[in-house]
Amino acid sequence: MFGLSFLSPLFLVGAAAAAIPIAIHLFYRRTEPVIEFAAMRYLRQAPVEESRRRRLRELLLLALRVTALVLLACAFARPYFAGAAIASGEATVVLVDTSASLSAPGHFDRVRERAAATVRAAPATHAIAVLAFANAADVIAPLSADRAGALAAIAQLKPGAGATRFRAGLERAGAELGGRQGRIVVVTDLQESGWDAATDGGVPEGVTVEIEEIDGPTANLAVTSLRVEAGEAVAVVQSFSPQAVTEQVVFTVDQRRLGAVPISLSSGGSAEARLPLGSVQRGALTAAIADREGFFADNARYAVLDGSSALSVLALTASGHPSESLYLERALTVANGPGGFRFRAIRASAFAGFDDGGQLDVIVVAGTSGLDERGRARLGAFVRAGGGLLVTVGPDVDAAIFSQALSSVVSTGWRARPAAAMSFAPADSRHPVFRPFGGVGTLGNVTFTRTVLVDASEGARVLARYTDGTPALVEERTSAGRVLVFGSDLNYRWNDFPVQPAFVPFVHEAIRYLGSPRSSRVEYQVGDLPGAQGATPGVVQLGTTQTRGRRVAVNTDPRESDPRRMTVEAFQAGISHLQAGAAIEAQAEVRRQEDAQGLWWYGLLLMVVSLAAEGILGRRLG
Amino acid sequence: MTAEAGDRRIGELRFLDPAILARLGSLELKARTVVEGFLSGLHRSPFKGFSVEFAEYRQYLPGDDLSTIDWKVYARSDRYYVKKFEEETNVDCHLLLDISASMGYGSQGVTKLRYGLMLAASLAFLMNRQRDAVALTTFDEAIVTMLPPSARASHLRSILVTLDRVTLGRRTDVSKPLHLMAEAIGKRGIVILISDLLDDPAQVVEGLRHFRFRGSDVIVFHLLDPAERTFPFKRAARFRDIESGDELMAVPSIVRQEYLDALQRAIDGYRRELGSGGIDYQLIETSTPLEFALMAYLSTRVKRR
Repeated sequence: MFGLSFLSPLFLVGAAAAAIPIAIHLFYRRTEPVIEFAAMRYLRQAPVEESRRRRLRELLLLALRVTALVLLACAFARPYFAGAAIASGEATVVLVDTSASLSAPGHFDRVRERAAATVRAAPATHAIAVLAFANAADVIAPLSADRAGALAAIAQLKPGAGATRFRAGLERAGAELGGRQGRIVVVTDLQESGWDAATDGGVPEGVTVEIEEIDGPTANLAVTSLRVEAGEAVAVVQSFSPQAVTEQVVFTVDQRRLGAVPISLSSGGSAEARLPLGSVQRGALTAAIADREGFFADNARYAVLDGSSALSVLALTASGHPSESLYLERALTVANGPGGFRFRAIRASAFAGFDDGGQLDVIVVAGTSGLDERGRARLGAFVRAGGGLLVTVGPDVDAAIFSQALSSVVSTGWRARPAAAMSFAPADSRHPVFRPFGGVGTLGNVTFTRTVLVDASEGARVLARYTDGTPALVEERTSAGRVLVFGSDLNYRWNDFPVQPAFVPFVHEAIRYLGSPRSSRVEYQVGDLPGAQGATPGVVQLGTTQTRGRRVAVNTDPRESDPRRMTVEAFQAGISHLQAGAAIEAQAEVRRQEDAQGLWWYGLLLMVVSLAAEGILGRRLG
Repeated sequence: MTAEAGDRRIGELRFLDPAILARLGSLELKARTVVEGFLSGLHRSPFKGFSVEFAEYRQYLPGDDLSTIDWKVYARSDRYYVKKFEEETNVDCHLLLDISASMGYGSQGVTKLRYGLMLAASLAFLMNRQRDAVALTTFDEAIVTMLPPSARASHLRSILVTLDRVTLGRRTDVSKPLHLMAEAIGKRGIVILISDLLDDPAQVVEGLRHFRFRGSDVIVFHLLDPAERTFPFKRAARFRDIESGDELMAVPSIVRQEYLDALQRAIDGYRRELGSGGIDYQLIETSTPLEFALMAYLSTRVKRR
């Protein structure tokens, strides 16, 4: 049922003021004089009211006064209709931990047994639901009285490779309760890292959380990192064992064994295993160990050898001559290869027919002459599709063409202004573009001889300003892409920026920032990617337009490999924090609902109507 | 004597406030006080001399009616003497007093009934002094008491005792007792009705005309309390009918004018209807000195002479 609730129910105490007109009414009723009179024959000919009718009017008047006061109190109490349906009855939600930390051989059998025992021991009046959780929670047996179904669902449970995220599980369990009174029984190994991630979640008030603790292994070996460095595959193995162990890391590429590297690990220590890749440039790289006692899911780690992680940058210039983007090209080519940039410059007039193969991440507009209608439309579509755009407003960039090309995407423009020498400084040094400079730094050495007056739109953000206070670098975000408008050129014509030490890091950070929405992330953790392909470690193919069919690695969260556990008391303390947080969040949600509904306005309006009616009726009563 | 002359004459007299009068002792004392005061005030008035029997001679004083000078005595004594007469008792006066519950209303110390009792007693006293036979009838919706006409002094005492014992009756129904009385009165006389007339005006007028039809002169004393005349109430109140107990909620400021208009229409109606039937109508507020009522009676009595 949707119920009327109040944001500030204490104001409802003010409704007690409704007793005032009632008291006045009763008082006057008692003291209203009765006059014995003889000439009633003539009084009856006057427009007097029958006592009964007057009483009725008085009661109506009283009702209007009381209504006005109650409405006033209600308006102050900020009423709203609770958005969620409140279910009735009591329930037990069994929340089963299926994280990677329970993947040690034999452990999960105990999980199933304890979960099943919990279902059997649940009060007969309780409905039962079973949820499995790791980094996210899934309902495997929805809330019902069907205990056999719940037991069957538990029997089908298997440990996954996800990280333990208690908040996510508890929140889903709370949602499953749907406002019922009841309890959540968490069957878990109480892994300490389960509280680490700052995920959302909470436990509703009035719900008790009980723990069914599962013992886990005290020792674990995990491959926590795999990277390619200087032509070598580098795997990091972490030991969570109380004693020193030796292990062998086996490297494979596309299931072809490349070699094995033996390592020795001290208690709680880590070791790197390095294996030259030789001529191997592409493929799915795997580093695996054979830890038979610890968690199974973290025994292997994956990486992708596709060398396509460099950001693709295209510069549009007036004629396409290399000199028009010389400094930009030099700045970007110093970081060639993976993690770097692939740069190309073309004349603007050729952009309409340019084939980028769907790989373009950032476009730098250094010239607009010759940019035809198709080119302009393509530029706008590129930004709308999430592409990054850096506009360097030099002598070859026409404001009119730019605004036409991006009229439906960004509103920032610029105007020419007289030449004047000035410098610039970041307006927000925490912005990713300026983070390497640690404040003004060497950016203050840049001397501008000419600039344009950038008109930042209302939604735009000024990242840097000239010394006269006008915007120098403006960012405007669209729903997907980012646009940076730099109020001068970057080719040593209107300023000496390209010959300053700050130029290269500025260009790198600006391009990386612009390209980050489309950057080629090559590694994900279990649960980061949607669907089944994100649920198990390995190398998967991403087929979406945004990721352009790349192969990426999916690995377990390294924190999940730590077998350290917390006490039940520490867990319950975490629950208390969650409940407190949930209460605050619930309050915030209530405030949002109340704001959106704005029922108090209607309350005030009705109050005014009541008072107006009261005034009219009161005047007639005398 | 014209009514205007009478009014001027009365204006020279000193009257007792009815509220003060009401605090005096017995009804007889009140009546005596009123009548003797009234008559002494009329010492030089032309009302003296209704009677046809010689009473005494008195030396002429300026202002005496020249027609009353006994020229024979003048011839003998060379002095002006006027003859004083006492009228022979040949008129029956019927006092009809309304004692219905509505007469019990009074806003300023004297109820209409109390005023009516004093008025009836004073009239009886006056009539008895003038040797008129006085009859008394009290009624509400029916005749309650009825004393036959008599001019004896002992009868006056009976009337006063009867009046002293009057208690409030029930509802007002003026017309029915009037018809009964009109039939009961055999000899033509003077009928005096003392009532607040809170009844259907048409019925009241019809009843009074019945007396006229039988040849009697009729005087109506319409008693109203000052509060009934001015409706001075301020606050909204429940007005309870003194007779029926019915209640009306009214805001005086709203209903006052309508009430006063209705009352005035009723008074005008009585004045018009009764006047056209040859019936004297006197509207008397209970704050008015009783002598005004006596003067009204005497005016009617003079007309009968």
